[in-house]
Amino acid sequence: MEEMGDIDHLLEQYLHLLHEYTSLRAELNKLQAGIYQNLARANFAAERGMRYGQDQYDDRMQASRRVVALPSSSSSARPTFEVVKVEGSDTAAAAEASVSKSDEAVASEVQGTIREEEGDKKEEEEVKDSLAKETKPKSSEPKAKKTIDPLRWFGLITPMPLRQAQAQSFQAVEDIVPKLVSINAEMAEVEIEVRRARKKRAKAEAAARKSEDMASKEEITA
Amino acid sequence: MASTADYKDRQFLAVIGDEDSVTGLLLAGIGHVTDPPDSQKNFLVVDNKTETSAIEAAFESFTEQRKDIGIVLINQHIADKIRHRIDTYTAAFPTVLEIPSKEHPYDPEKDSVLRRVRRLFGE
Repeated sequence: MEEMGDIDHLLEQYLHLLHEYTSLRAELNKLQAGIYQNLARANFAAERGMRYGQDQYDDRMQASRRVVALPSSSSSARPTFEVVKVEGSDTAAAAEASVSKSDEAVASEVQGTIREEEGDKKEEEEVKDSLAKETKPKSSEPKAKKTIDPLRWFGLITPMPLRQAQAQSFQAVEDIVPKLVSINAEMAEVEIEVRRARKKRAKAEAAARKSEDMASKEEITA
Repeated sequence: MASTADYKDRQFLAVIGDEDSVTGLLLAGIGHVTDPPDSQKNFLVVDNKTETSAIEAAFESFTEQRKDIGIVLINQHIADKIRHRIDTYTAAFPTVLEIPSKEHPYDPEKDSVLRRVRRLFGE
């Protein structure tokens, strides 16, 4: 009976995880759909022959978003995942600036054109700044690689939809993906526990049946 | 059981997907090319001409050969092409996550996590 309660408890926990998984899935789907739509808009408005795609990727790209697996707080061996911005790079600041800018843009799309111009000017200044920094004599860490904001692969002045796609992509990568992956690991863990509990219950049942049989046999012989 | 050493160096996300999926995710800054002469990329852009063997090779490289990948993102319709590999992949690291693509929306029927759920409930 006790095992029964254990299994029920585990299954309840499992269903909660499943619920969380499906709602995160829905969120990820929405974000991905937004990214594709924005990329399509950017490509539609682009100059003839221009496509925001692999031809423009920087072959020396360095990841500015990286995975950190933290040991889980519970007793399980599976860690929880997080995706974090790499500290100490120029990009971190630049990327953040573009995110907040894009967020603003999403919030007030009506004033889009004005803001876009302003944003572009700001970005140009930003780029000038970063260029100025680059031309300065190198500091004590000459080999420290700079990660460049991926938006720059596509030019200095990038269209609004592309920046919106980037903002959505940040959210998907930093927020949703690590949560989904962690929940997936947690679900796998609970699955193992459920199977173990079921096996234990089956064994206990078999043992009970055996002792019953023995008892009935003894009765017959007596 | 996975030890801390198994995952502490796994710092990159890898992507196998169509061009828009990869572009979208690289915009977030997950793309990484290792130092030359290797210059290994952590992404594969798949189009109609990409052979299934190339997809399989990339999946194997990300999941088995490279020790610096923590999460592998793969478009669900591409995962379908190497479904046997995905379904038999059980290692905890790196974790594989199927994502929708532009032309192929997410199908819960194919999701390996939800298939595990059905198996647990005996369907």
